[in-house]
Amino acid sequence: MHNKNLYGITALFDSPDKIISVAKKTAEAGYTRFDINSPYPVHGFDKAMNLKPSKLGFITLVFGLTGSIVALLFMFWTMSIDYPMIIGGKPFFALPAFIPITFEVTVLLASLATVIGMIVFFFKFPENRHPLHNTNYIKQVSKDKFGLVIEASDKNFEYQKVKDFIISLNPIEVEEIYYQEKELLSIIEPKFLTLLLAVALVTSGTTYFVLNELLYMVPFSWMSEQLRLNPQNSCELFADGFGMRMPVKGTVARGFMPYLQKGNSNPTELLENPYLITEENIKLGKSKYLTFCSPCHGNYGDGDSRLRGQFPNPPTLHSKRAQEFKDGMIYHIIVNGQNSMPSYASYLNNEERWAVVNFIRVLQKAKNASDSDLQFVKKENNKNASN
Amino acid sequence: MNIDYSREVPVVEGRLSLAQIEELVAKPLESKPDKKYYIALTISGSALMLGAICLAFSFYYGLGLWGNNQPIGWAYDIVNFVFWIGIGHAGTLISAILFLLRQKWRTGIARFSEAMTIFAVICAGLFPAIHTGRPWLDGYLLPYPNQHSLWVNFTSPLLWDVFAVSTYFTVSLVFWYIGLIPDFATLRDRTDSKLKKTIYSIFSLGWRHSSRHWQHYEKAYMLLAGFATPLVLSVHTIVSFDFAVSILPGWHTTIFPPYFVAGAIFSGFAMVVTVLVVVRKVFNLENIITMDHLDKMNKVILATGMMVGYAYAMEFFIAWYSGVQVEQFAFLNRAFGPYAWAYWIMVSCNVIFPQLFWFRKFRRSIPVMMIIVILVNVGMWFERFVITVTSLHRDFLPSSWAYYTPTLYDIGILIGSFGLFFTLVILFTKTLPVVSISEVKAVAEGAQPSHIGGIVNA
Amino acid sequence: MSENFANQSNDTPDPNYWRSFKELFKDKETLEKKFNEFEKGVTDDFNPDTNLFGLSRRKFLALLGASAAFAGVACSNYRDKGEIVPYNQQPEEITLGKPNFYASTCTGCVSNCGILIKTREGRPIKVDGNPEHPINQGKICAKGQANILNLYNPERIKNPLKKNYNRFSEVDWKSVDEFIINLLNTSQKEIAIVSHSINSPTTQKLLNELKNVYSNINYYSYELFNDSIRNKAWQKCYGTPHFPLIKWDEAKIILSLESDFLGADCNKIENNRLFSLMRDVDSKKFNRLYVVESGMTLTGINADYRLKIKPENQLEFVLSLLSELKAKGVISSNLEFNYKLDDFIKRNNIDEKKVRFLIKDLSENKGKSIIYAGNSLSEDVHIAVNLLNELLGNKTLFNKNSYPVNISNLSSFDDFIKLVNKIDNNQVDVVIHLNCNPVYHLPEDIEYKKALAKIENVITLTETMNETAQLSKFVLPINHNFESWGDFKTRTGILSLAQPVILPIHNTRQLEAILLTWMAKDASVYDDLIYHDYLKFNWQNSVYNNFFSAIGFDKFWFSALHNGFITFEENTTYDFSFNYSVVTKINSNVDNNSGYTVILRESYSLGDGRFANNGWLQELPHPVSKVTWDNYAAISFNTANELRLKDNDLIEIKLEDRSLKIPVFIQAGNTDKTIVIELGYGREYSGIIASGVGFNANKLLSKNYKISPWIYTNAEVKKVNGKYILASTQEHHSFDIPREQDLHFKRDIVIEGTFAEYLENPNFVKEKQHTQHESIYQPFEYNEVKWGMSIDLNKCLGCGDCVIACNVENNVPVVGKDQVLKSREMQWIRIDRYYSGSPDDPKVSTQPMLCQHCDLAPCENVCPVVATTHSPDGLNQMTYNRCVGTRYCSNNCPYKVRRFNFFDYRDHFKNAYQENPLFALLNNPEVTVRSRGVMEKCTFCIQRIADARSEAIRLDRKVKGSDVTTACQDACPTSAIKFGDINDKEGEFYKYRNHQLGYYSLSVLNIKPNVTYITKLRNTHPEEA
Repeated sequence: MHNKNLYGITALFDSPDKIISVAKKTAEAGYTRFDINSPYPVHGFDKAMNLKPSKLGFITLVFGLTGSIVALLFMFWTMSIDYPMIIGGKPFFALPAFIPITFEVTVLLASLATVIGMIVFFFKFPENRHPLHNTNYIKQVSKDKFGLVIEASDKNFEYQKVKDFIISLNPIEVEEIYYQEKELLSIIEPKFLTLLLAVALVTSGTTYFVLNELLYMVPFSWMSEQLRLNPQNSCELFADGFGMRMPVKGTVARGFMPYLQKGNSNPTELLENPYLITEENIKLGKSKYLTFCSPCHGNYGDGDSRLRGQFPNPPTLHSKRAQEFKDGMIYHIIVNGQNSMPSYASYLNNEERWAVVNFIRVLQKAKNASDSDLQFVKKENNKNASN
Repeated sequence: MNIDYSREVPVVEGRLSLAQIEELVAKPLESKPDKKYYIALTISGSALMLGAICLAFSFYYGLGLWGNNQPIGWAYDIVNFVFWIGIGHAGTLISAILFLLRQKWRTGIARFSEAMTIFAVICAGLFPAIHTGRPWLDGYLLPYPNQHSLWVNFTSPLLWDVFAVSTYFTVSLVFWYIGLIPDFATLRDRTDSKLKKTIYSIFSLGWRHSSRHWQHYEKAYMLLAGFATPLVLSVHTIVSFDFAVSILPGWHTTIFPPYFVAGAIFSGFAMVVTVLVVVRKVFNLENIITMDHLDKMNKVILATGMMVGYAYAMEFFIAWYSGVQVEQFAFLNRAFGPYAWAYWIMVSCNVIFPQLFWFRKFRRSIPVMMIIVILVNVGMWFERFVITVTSLHRDFLPSSWAYYTPTLYDIGILIGSFGLFFTLVILFTKTLPVVSISEVKAVAEGAQPSHIGGIVNA
Repeated sequence: MSENFANQSNDTPDPNYWRSFKELFKDKETLEKKFNEFEKGVTDDFNPDTNLFGLSRRKFLALLGASAAFAGVACSNYRDKGEIVPYNQQPEEITLGKPNFYASTCTGCVSNCGILIKTREGRPIKVDGNPEHPINQGKICAKGQANILNLYNPERIKNPLKKNYNRFSEVDWKSVDEFIINLLNTSQKEIAIVSHSINSPTTQKLLNELKNVYSNINYYSYELFNDSIRNKAWQKCYGTPHFPLIKWDEAKIILSLESDFLGADCNKIENNRLFSLMRDVDSKKFNRLYVVESGMTLTGINADYRLKIKPENQLEFVLSLLSELKAKGVISSNLEFNYKLDDFIKRNNIDEKKVRFLIKDLSENKGKSIIYAGNSLSEDVHIAVNLLNELLGNKTLFNKNSYPVNISNLSSFDDFIKLVNKIDNNQVDVVIHLNCNPVYHLPEDIEYKKALAKIENVITLTETMNETAQLSKFVLPINHNFESWGDFKTRTGILSLAQPVILPIHNTRQLEAILLTWMAKDASVYDDLIYHDYLKFNWQNSVYNNFFSAIGFDKFWFSALHNGFITFEENTTYDFSFNYSVVTKINSNVDNNSGYTVILRESYSLGDGRFANNGWLQELPHPVSKVTWDNYAAISFNTANELRLKDNDLIEIKLEDRSLKIPVFIQAGNTDKTIVIELGYGREYSGIIASGVGFNANKLLSKNYKISPWIYTNAEVKKVNGKYILASTQEHHSFDIPREQDLHFKRDIVIEGTFAEYLENPNFVKEKQHTQHESIYQPFEYNEVKWGMSIDLNKCLGCGDCVIACNVENNVPVVGKDQVLKSREMQWIRIDRYYSGSPDDPKVSTQPMLCQHCDLAPCENVCPVVATTHSPDGLNQMTYNRCVGTRYCSNNCPYKVRRFNFFDYRDHFKNAYQENPLFALLNNPEVTVRSRGVMEKCTFCIQRIADARSEAIRLDRKVKGSDVTTACQDACPTSAIKFGDINDKEGEFYKYRNHQLGYYSLSVLNIKPNVTYITKLRNTHPEEA
């Protein structure tokens, strides 16, 4: 309890009339850092103390306007820029529907700003260590007395003069208020650091739990676990655990007539190619050929692929034999496989198989074209050019 | 009886001194609660528990436990919501509007009704939260970018509610707290107990009754009152939008905003009177909450009751006048359909009984006003029931008509909400000054300087 | 402290002034007080820093920062999404995520429609009609649709059961087979094999061969509902038992007598299609339907004119018609009919005007009208009707190219009575039931049940437990339709094939395969393909060799399987010449029926009870009364008043010694003093769905009937105490409160007109329509594809097949009776039924109601969490996992088509019945399975739209309206539902969207629905004002 310094001198009075006149006198005496404390606002004190009117209103105005503008912009941004959606056929920026929220936000911001502004900027609250606290003086004024305090920090404060002045007002009680320098607390302090750590752990722990555990628990997990079998799901109902079942032997699905020659290396009857060589068909064939056939037979069917030498060499598709194959035979080979070539039945559907056949035909033609073909191509080009 | 109209009737009766007023108000906070208090607390507490249990069940098994069904998507849940929001209107009205109107008599009841506002809004806010099918996802109603970077639908009245109710709650809470600060300071300086002192000090924020503060304080109070006034009107307006903005016959009505606000004040005042009558007796505050207060409030009830009655009549007129078959049917069906009983309860409680308040004798007789205000509360609950349920149960397509019957869970939760409300009220009476000390002091006789003020003594 | 006090006391102030008297006298206490500023009890150690404001602002921020920083820690945690099980060897036809379709045949009823089963990764998930099939042409009924639920029914018997000491225990097939083979070998007495009617030639062949092996076998077959009376009558009149097919689509006038030819009688699907061809607003072809019946039926509600006559008076009615027509000289015949139509009209107080119209129409449309008597009417009525058709020259409407055939003849009641007698005199030692349930179906007074108890070796082959199986020693589980091979013949020139689409899920075997094993007298011969091979072989011999030997057999066989049926030339030339002698035998001495008439009908949804354990069908509202989950005694208003009955009151019906307690339902339009009850309910031992649902009215059947097994007169009815609440999905509001009458017309929910009106002013609807209203907003422009639907109310008969189709496609759960009572059913599409007029003679309108996908959808504006929004292609979408369930959208939906999951119904209904893993196979993998607290509704089958779109992308072209069909559209037997692109002016749908008769329901609300209804036209008689 050393370094005690004087905060100010207080005096207590007992009637509102009195305090008003005291206020007047004090103000006239030229004191500026003085204050009147009363259990409730006494009419006319501000005039008596000649205080300037409160500036609080400006805060309110500024924040009120901010509120409305922010609200409107926010709604505009979310609903018409960030994630626009058609809602009840309304335009993305449906102003009339935004009014209520704009109003609410305005009021909210304005009133909160007013209060917080007042408490923080005007009152400098919270301030529980003010020297006046816990004095007999404050106890009296908060009950039914009216008090005057002249602070030592006032520019023309002289202990004796002020004391005399106050006595001259004949108060019912006078009190000197002292205060002491308060020391600041440092952050680097084991007790606080442990608290810090604890809080950190708790927060991270809860976050982890919420995001990685809780959200996968009932009821949050509802609808993320579906009572249905998507492709490649397992199913404990069946002994083999496969959710995907094999079609029953001997059944025929729509559009999947079984290929009757399947299995015999030299087919007795071959299918006719049902597809004409059209541009789309060739396109399809090319893409499928490049995906499935080219790895062995090479991009142009020469049988020269990166696999050459590593496998029994894949044959060229430009061999005389290959050229003389009926379409049906090539189809047969695709479906059935040949020698070390496996069946591609389950990779190519009917249309695609024939498309590949057609594409191979194109390759063959291109590889060993005759002059007549060239003439023909020329003619075609001219025709295209002409029209 | 002869009243001297030359001078203002004193707001505080019995010529109490400032110290006495303070004593009177602070006493309950400094005395140990008695047996009666605990009995009251047990009753309200068990009601609250009942509600909690019913709620737990509905969370566990689903809303199917309630009576709601296909056409009637909203029933008790939203009825209770609107009912409590309505109750929550008296407080702010009294503290804000009457403040702006310079009604000194408000000081005696302001604090209490503000508290009731806050508690009522708590009860109200509960229902939109629990009425959803997946309450654990209520967070979706807040405008934050979730994992799908999805926002909320700002064109939905239900979302307006979220903003309106939360704003209203925040502002009234702040308003209430601001009013409490000087009282906290006073209590702080009264008490001897270290613990109490600590708590009061924290809440008083170190208030020093300084005039330089009083100046801003009064300004702020005025501004807040200024905001709270449109706010209090807007809240129930927006709540009424929940119905008015929809296309459902019986809901789709432009009269709803004023009609709802009037109804809100009506029910709010009724509830305040109900509680105050008890409080002033129990804490013998008859001198601060005087018969004049009650008289004035009953007048307000009478007035707003008439407005509500007018709205009822006007709804019918407009329905007829619109010439829309569906509208006309909706209202005839209210009065004569399967839910006629509810409709007539509403009319008699809200329009007919309050007419007794035309007579000063009844306005000033505790038992009569007690009966009437309770009836008004019942009536106003049924008003919301009629609006919500009877409009839904028979709308456009006769093929999807149905009847609604509440289940035990519905009723349990309703009781629970009352339990919550009264538990909070009872706790409040023992922890905070039920009357604003500083304000009442300020209006006590001789509390203000005589008009020729300091000059005389100078 | 004391020290401080000391220094203080040094500078004691000058006593001339003092702060207080105490101080003046240097009161120690006061002075001390001065320094330690605190009141007593609040001493120095009270340090405001720690106690009041422990946390400095700086510290607070530090804390905040720390928590925020750590909050992000380890939030990214990979969760195992379950294992992936790919095919070891992927089958040629299967592409993951793409459906396959298998043609097969439905065995739900005797019609054996061709079906197309949709499978995903080898699992059937949906059934539709086979579009190429000549009989049902791509449509199947509700039962067929829901049949898939029977496949995955968790209560199917999973292993062979053997009963010892009244308890069933599981046994293995081998031992059972061996036991039974031995049994059959050694048995000296008769072996009775009971079955339903056999429609499969190969099965019939198999049975014959079986009889060759075990000579003491006798076959008995029955159908609870059959057309044997009709055929007998036809035999008498024309000498052939084959009642011809009728060209409904050419009949101008149809007179239906006590027949539900659009509902439960005969092949509904085909009749609906043909009938609706004459309800076509585009070709302006309309028939006029007169219905003369006792109880309101599906046919009745679609009638232009409806007369109420008790069934026993039908004969007199027909004869009076004959005499009237003869008197008018319309028909010439030397037969004498001495009946007076006027007397008849008076006696049965029926609306004379209507009869006059009928007479006129019949006489004006000779050869273009058809009179059709119901299966349940007596032989005499049928003969009289045949005569009337003959005389009116309506033979022209009989289809001569093909006629229905019955491979096997049904046994009569007498045959069963004989069987029972044989059993009683111990001449039978084995009874085998082939997938049938005679204990439940046969009249009690045949005492089949009692007889069965006397036999030791009762063997029942069945899919699920039932009343008969309960009394058997062996219960052998058989394959479901979709696990079975088979062939069927119900018409000349058409053979249908059934192929399995999944291997048996449980340890079950195909019925025929079991018989084959027994026939081979060797339990070890069985393998999965044994019947497949038998069938194939039989076809090679009997079908292929006779008709198709041109192409290779494999090719023929596979293409037959691929198509699901074959058609071939079959000699069907049969001419009918009427044998007038039979007519003279008709005696119409109307038994003076003092009491009530009881009419027993087939249930619309459950058939003869076979589908009772199917939740979807139980919950499908009755097309007329909208009652679910129960059958009831339907009575007229007057009868109800007479007996002082209200809905749900219990009555007791007495027929001689037979009696039944059952709740009443007051059905508008029923004939007085008649009681209509549907059979198929009141099952026992048949699973948790069916057991105890409804009342077993089979109790009222009798072996010695007067009119027919389904119609009994002179019943006594009395009210008994108690109530039984029926769950109806539609509140049937009263007829007598004016403000509740005809609301559907007043509010433009349903718009109706007459055919005549349409002919003279095709725009009469559009003229009545409300003009477009102004809006403060610019409406959103949909320039790409925009989906829309149109529903032709002329074609919609209100059968409800679409409802089931929707349930299957969209994983709609069953909610159970208690929830229907709370009106919480979940069906996405419903058929609304409205009455207008008097309760005695109501006019009925039906309207399928589903989400209208309004452009200005009221539901969307009010959803706070944007869980329901519009897609750019005009769909009103539900985002299930965003929905929090405020139910506001449903409140604001004027059509009330939104459905809310008040419970997790899969969990809530019958102790999580629908959470059985088998339902995972059933559910459509493309559709979310909704949980509790979520709103749902019709999506216009968005999953199909998505498929179409991705397909279009693959073929890089724009998606077209014709690429998508909705489930309800596929199912609708009359193609009343059309779906397509509103913006596509070339598309076929455009015509319907902008039809002259098109209107929007509740158009006054101006919410711009995307579902167009096409005004229902009633083809009233031109003379009617």
